Amino acid sequence: MKKPREEGGVNMTPMIDVVFQLIIFFVCTVELERQAIDESIRLSMAPHGPAVEVKDPREVVIEVDDRGRISIARNYMSDTVLRNLLRNVVANHGQTTPVIIRAAGGTRHEDVRKVMDAAAYAGLWKVSFAAIKEVAQ
Amino acid sequence: MARKKRRIRRSVESGDVQMTAMIDVVFQLLVYFIVTIQPVDVIAHLDVFRPSPEAKQEQLQTPPKMIRIQIFQDGFTINDRAVGLREMETLLARLAAIDTKQTIMIMATAHSKHEALVQVLDLCAKNGLQNLSVISTN
Repeated sequence: MKKPREEGGVNMTPMIDVVFQLIIFFVCTVELERQAIDESIRLSMAPHGPAVEVKDPREVVIEVDDRGRISIARNYMSDTVLRNLLRNVVANHGQTTPVIIRAAGGTRHEDVRKVMDAAAYAGLWKVSFAAIKEVAQ
Repeated sequence: MARKKRRIRRSVESGDVQMTAMIDVVFQLLVYFIVTIQPVDVIAHLDVFRPSPEAKQEQLQTPPKMIRIQIFQDGFTINDRAVGLREMETLLARLAAIDTKQTIMIMATAHSKHEALVQVLDLCAKNGLQNLSVISTN
């Protein structure tokens, strides 16, 4: 009675193991991605702006909070440091690297200007501002 | 007859995997993820042109054909006319109907809010205007 059962039935245990490993892997990577951007920045609304469809892997996301502090992936830096960093970016990836500025709605223009000037100084000309097109429900 | 039934039941009990427990766990996981997941906002990227630092001096002399939008701390002007956001929208729609390739020069003062700039860029994007230059003024 026991022998034919073992031959016919599929062994579920390794499959479950693999599925759980996959789940844990995805949960961890999603968390890491979320940590890379500053969630406290309140972007302004742009309901008519073009939605992001293709993501360039080279893109540099620079964040400016409403107190004018500049950061990349939560590392705060001065505009001179940013300038040198962007020059390195140009040396490694070329001048077509897109720069995305995530500035809070309440930021003063002069603080955003520092970032734009740093990008222009390094020779990066693809500058765009991030804004919320649609608020998630 | 009774003997046969007993045999079948025993063979089910001695099966390899207890499915009930696994389904319980999987449902627990499913519920956990549904509760904890945070929906993500749809992000738009508004592209702008920025004059290079060397060309800064030339940019100040403005050819008359451009549309000049100025952003101040407390309002907007379009071609030196003070307007509200609503009025700017209708004016831009009218200008975009003539030509969407024309250059829009957006001049923002140092103390203006970034939100105002995004609002103007959004209106330009709505009307299909593409040549947007952002210039910072004091």
